[in-house]
Amino acid sequence: MQVTGMLYGARMLKLVDFPASTILGPEASESAIKDLIEKCGSVFVKPIFRGGIGKKGKAGLIGRAKDIKTAMAEKERLYFVTHKVGKMTYKAQGVTFEGAVPADYEVYFSISDSTKFRAPTITITHHGGMDIEELDSSQIIEVPFDALTGLKAFVIANALSDLGAPREIVSPLVQNLPKLWDLFHHHGMTTLELNPIRMTVDSPGRLSPVACDFKCGFDRDDPRVSRLNLPDDLFVEDISDFEQEINQLRTYQGQSDVYVINDKGTILAPTFGGGANSLVTEGLGDDAIISSDFGGNPPYEKMREVMKICLKHWLAQTNVLFVIGGKSNNTDIFETFRAMADALREHFNEKGPSPIYVVIGRGGVNLVRGMGAFKDVLESLGLPYRIFGHDSAMSDVVRYSQAVDKWMKKGGRAEIAAKLGISNGGKL
Amino acid sequence: MKNRGIEEFKYFVGIRSLGDIASKDDRICVLNILGGESRTVTPISHAYSGGNVVFGTSPGRQGQVLETRIGNIPVYNSVREGLKDGHKFNVGVVYLPPAGVRDGVAELIRVNPNLTKIIIITEKVSTHDAREIRALGQQGQVDIFGANCLGIADAWLQVRYGGALGGDHPAETLRKGCVAIYSNSGNFTTTIANYLKTGGWGTTTSVSSGKDVYIHFGAAEFANALTNDPRSKAAVMYVEPGGYYEQELKLTKPTVACVVGRWKANLTRAVGHAGAIGGTGDSAVAKEGWFKDRFGVDDLFTPENPVCSAKGAVVANIAYIPAALTAVMTLNKIKPDFPPEGDLSLKPWFGNNQGLNLPADLDLPIVDAISPYREQIAELDKQVGAFFPRQPMKDCSGSSIMDATSQITRVNGVSILDTAKMPMESNLCLNLVREANDDNDNALFNLAVASEVNLHGDAILAAAQAASDAGNAPNSVLATACAILGPGRVDGARKAAETLVELFAHSGVNQGDDENADFSSIKADALQLACLLGDKQDAKAKAMLAAFDARGARSVFVKYLRSLKGHITADAVLAALTTTIAWEPLMRKRISTLTVRNLPWYARLFAVHIGASTAADDHGKNSFCGVAMTEIMASWTVTELAYLALTGKKPSADELFPFQVMMGLIISNGVGTISAQGAKGAVSADGPESPERVQINKCMVGFLTHTGFAHGGNGFEGIQFLIECFRDKGLTDAGDPNHGIDLKAMAEEYALAFGKDKKVRKAVGEPIRNIPGVNHPVFKGLMVNKDPREVFIAELLKGRGDSNVFHDYYSVLVKALFDTGMTKNIFCVNIDAVIATILLKLLWPRYQSGDFSEKSMETSAFTAFLFGRMAGCAGEIDDHINRGRNMDTRTPTSQCRFVS
Repeated sequence: MQVTGMLYGARMLKLVDFPASTILGPEASESAIKDLIEKCGSVFVKPIFRGGIGKKGKAGLIGRAKDIKTAMAEKERLYFVTHKVGKMTYKAQGVTFEGAVPADYEVYFSISDSTKFRAPTITITHHGGMDIEELDSSQIIEVPFDALTGLKAFVIANALSDLGAPREIVSPLVQNLPKLWDLFHHHGMTTLELNPIRMTVDSPGRLSPVACDFKCGFDRDDPRVSRLNLPDDLFVEDISDFEQEINQLRTYQGQSDVYVINDKGTILAPTFGGGANSLVTEGLGDDAIISSDFGGNPPYEKMREVMKICLKHWLAQTNVLFVIGGKSNNTDIFETFRAMADALREHFNEKGPSPIYVVIGRGGVNLVRGMGAFKDVLESLGLPYRIFGHDSAMSDVVRYSQAVDKWMKKGGRAEIAAKLGISNGGKL
Repeated sequence: MKNRGIEEFKYFVGIRSLGDIASKDDRICVLNILGGESRTVTPISHAYSGGNVVFGTSPGRQGQVLETRIGNIPVYNSVREGLKDGHKFNVGVVYLPPAGVRDGVAELIRVNPNLTKIIIITEKVSTHDAREIRALGQQGQVDIFGANCLGIADAWLQVRYGGALGGDHPAETLRKGCVAIYSNSGNFTTTIANYLKTGGWGTTTSVSSGKDVYIHFGAAEFANALTNDPRSKAAVMYVEPGGYYEQELKLTKPTVACVVGRWKANLTRAVGHAGAIGGTGDSAVAKEGWFKDRFGVDDLFTPENPVCSAKGAVVANIAYIPAALTAVMTLNKIKPDFPPEGDLSLKPWFGNNQGLNLPADLDLPIVDAISPYREQIAELDKQVGAFFPRQPMKDCSGSSIMDATSQITRVNGVSILDTAKMPMESNLCLNLVREANDDNDNALFNLAVASEVNLHGDAILAAAQAASDAGNAPNSVLATACAILGPGRVDGARKAAETLVELFAHSGVNQGDDENADFSSIKADALQLACLLGDKQDAKAKAMLAAFDARGARSVFVKYLRSLKGHITADAVLAALTTTIAWEPLMRKRISTLTVRNLPWYARLFAVHIGASTAADDHGKNSFCGVAMTEIMASWTVTELAYLALTGKKPSADELFPFQVMMGLIISNGVGTISAQGAKGAVSADGPESPERVQINKCMVGFLTHTGFAHGGNGFEGIQFLIECFRDKGLTDAGDPNHGIDLKAMAEEYALAFGKDKKVRKAVGEPIRNIPGVNHPVFKGLMVNKDPREVFIAELLKGRGDSNVFHDYYSVLVKALFDTGMTKNIFCVNIDAVIATILLKLLWPRYQSGDFSEKSMETSAFTAFLFGRMAGCAGEIDDHINRGRNMDTRTPTSQCRFVS
């Protein structure tokens, strides 16, 4: 859950009275853009990407216009532009027009939680407007501070002093930057980055900081995020329909974390435990459809609902239903397996059989009863299966499920389909 | 603030050695001790640790206790109250919901000056709260473990704090040894301890650190405490990407680091562990590098490439940990703690190829599980049927669920729109055996009910008639009848069913209707035979067996009874019929043996419902409602019998279908209905934890007494409304589409009159009269409103070419109300209206002929509801008996209100 850009950034900054550049959204009229150019001398035209998409400047995706004709040409160029970051390609959904802010100094500022200091920590430099990784360590400083006291002016003053920052920027920053703690801490943020903050002349001899770019990350487990009244669809690009449905079930009683790894995958692996998630995700790679953690002793009803959603979205393409976890501490295997097996049976009842091979690896509380419950359902559905206890290495069970998947792709799926009386041979 | 912690850290850390983490002298207070997770985990921890929990808190529950094997733990509203009562503790364990964790930590620190440690089990604590918790811990100089962890355990002291390390049998996993464990994963803490046993390694202290963004007792603190713990000769660290906790660790003892999560670099969002998402500097690869540098190795350890040094090894697979540790320890000349136990090779405990020719590498043979699981599997194989965990079942059902949006109820996974297509006999069984009947099942159940429906000469009939004569409504009449069918009357049949289950449970017979099954190995002893055979010939049994043959039914149990030498009892035949139906669900473990044992009782109760709803003189010695019993037993269905009891005649096929639809629609409206609540309350009061004592007939009385003129009897309101509308219209056949009545004009006339009446009532402040069957609190608000159940039934009947003038009138009426401006949108015709239209259509000819009074009509409408609903309530009763706890439907005093 991330937000980048000034379209929403400026609104959030306004909540704490932090100055921000003037911005117009994609719906801005030509006359409004023209007025902005006249007022600021020029505008930056930036594509809008949902989520935390960075490095737009380096990719040539930020336009600058000093007249309306250029502004409209840049709008046309960038309105639906695509941007590749790593494996992912993102498509813009409009542009913003941001008034240029003349300045002699550009400041980088962020607040995040540092695992080095185990405290909220600011990172600041007056050599901003560029990648901070490119700066010499003497040009940038990280300063932890006490979460109960909050970010106070003296923390900023000391940091700027240690950096040897120019005298004229110290006072305006000391006055304004502490405001950002309220935005960060009380609205469920995990990171807040302003880069650059341009130090513009407010009145003769007096500088004022103006945020010209904005990035923040939110904690999905913090209800304070809703205080910002951000539109629901702002984060929609981040998650699929499947993830959205599972997320509805997010409570602290039992995990329900999922991530779609490969929507063309063939192994559906409901996984229990964060550790198992790491191991299984790594072992299965692109064979897996989802990465998941359903541990934390989910109650029967929740587990059944989660499984129903998984099956609804993915069973048709699944070769191997792979239920995997370590030796549980508290998760009741009987309850969770019974719920999953019931969901599978109900899915078959409703949608008809699906040619799958079931592989299970698990240990823990009420293990044998749970395995027995799952086994009974698999027998009644006529599905081939192997169930392993915790005395089989989890990584070997992962490899076994992959070997089954390969066999399924080479004709095993059709063989099971024939056994189950599925007419089209279980073709995907 | 002065740092009172140990000198090695700039910030506060109080724990110097792993040996100090847990102590036999520590005393614990558990916050939210009665929460779902704590309720199961704390008693095991408490008993394993020799009783170290002094009290727990749960606001509003002061005075309650948490029961444990070694004594009760008292519960207080708050920490202060517990301390005030004389308890002392130095460790707090937090099981609060995420939003309450920070406040709980503050309470522990501020209220108890003796606090030294806090363990936070809760997952999904916000980062906001975690950063404040960190500051609170530092300010209060308290060591904190977690959040999102499973606590700490010491195998030497046999003590565990907080979560459930080692599961429900900690001593089994946490074997005493020389290896300390630090793990970002709670589950892997236990799994690694388990894996280590295959290398012969036991453990000292195991720390589940959690893997949120904030880890309060991190790798550095662990490494320092490891150095200072003489018991620990080595460590295993399980580490995931994200965070710089492991950078520049000072490890002074041999260590195996397992770093997992390279592939996670492809993810953009954490899954499971909130903090397990790394950037470039704290990825899994980076962390592998940190450990490789520490150990002086240049590669990962694998069995094929066992790279390690005396300082340690890095693995990327937890399965390699035992081998890597052994290799590292060998270099240090340290021997395992005990002989290796088992191995980690692939060993399926269960499997079935289902007749497929699997390649050799996939066709792994099933192996015996390790002990104690081997013994448990052997026991499991002996178990017959399902075992449901007991839980409070107030407002909770494993039988039915209503979808709040569509108002459509599902019974054992089957929608009432589908039960509407099934005959009554099938629905009655579906509620109990949780699977739909096939034709043979229906034949068996029809016979079971038919053979019990005639109450001639039975006190039940006299009692029912007396109740009826006293002016009681049908529910009270049937309740009177059911009250007499107590356990004493069905003991014979129940024992017979129990005996059949005992005899056949491990016979290999999987289908009750498989008459070719070989039961030659089944040998009943004298006691068992006494449950199936009588001293003299039983005429009823003989009649039932003749009817069985006449129906062409199949049953391995009937065949078995016939193979016995002696006189089969009617109870045994009844039990054989019901057990045949239940056998496959029982073998598939969908139902319990308890349900199978009680099925004859349910069958007889259903028969009594139908039988006692007719007058005493309908029960002849050899006939019921004028039909010969031989015919009824040989061919009649339950649906036909119900129809006969209600209308006094045998239905034609055209009459039977809509009647069946109506019955199927009303079997259940979910667990929240008053009738279901009455039934469940009756189970709860008898105490389902002693299921043999639950009086099922009394539970059916509970259902019946929780129906009445407002619930069940109100179906008549729709009928009454329709009678008012059609009384003088000369309608003879409600199913004739050419009825010749101008429904539109009739509806408009009614709508205008309704509007006028509404206006007058409004003017004088009188309540406005609603039209029965029109509108529904859920299905309103659109321009055109539809009850999906009504739409389904209308289409179902239309598809069969059935016409129903009453239903058509309702459809026209809601439009007329809108067209004449009486309503702002088109109201829906609801399911009650549909039921009224179906029933009235069936009864219309008799009403027109004067044969059936309005009073009889009301009785029939109410009785019809009871016939339908007895299926759903029987299901709720059986479900509650199987799952419920004693007195679990009572309401806590705190939720009861007084009004004056």
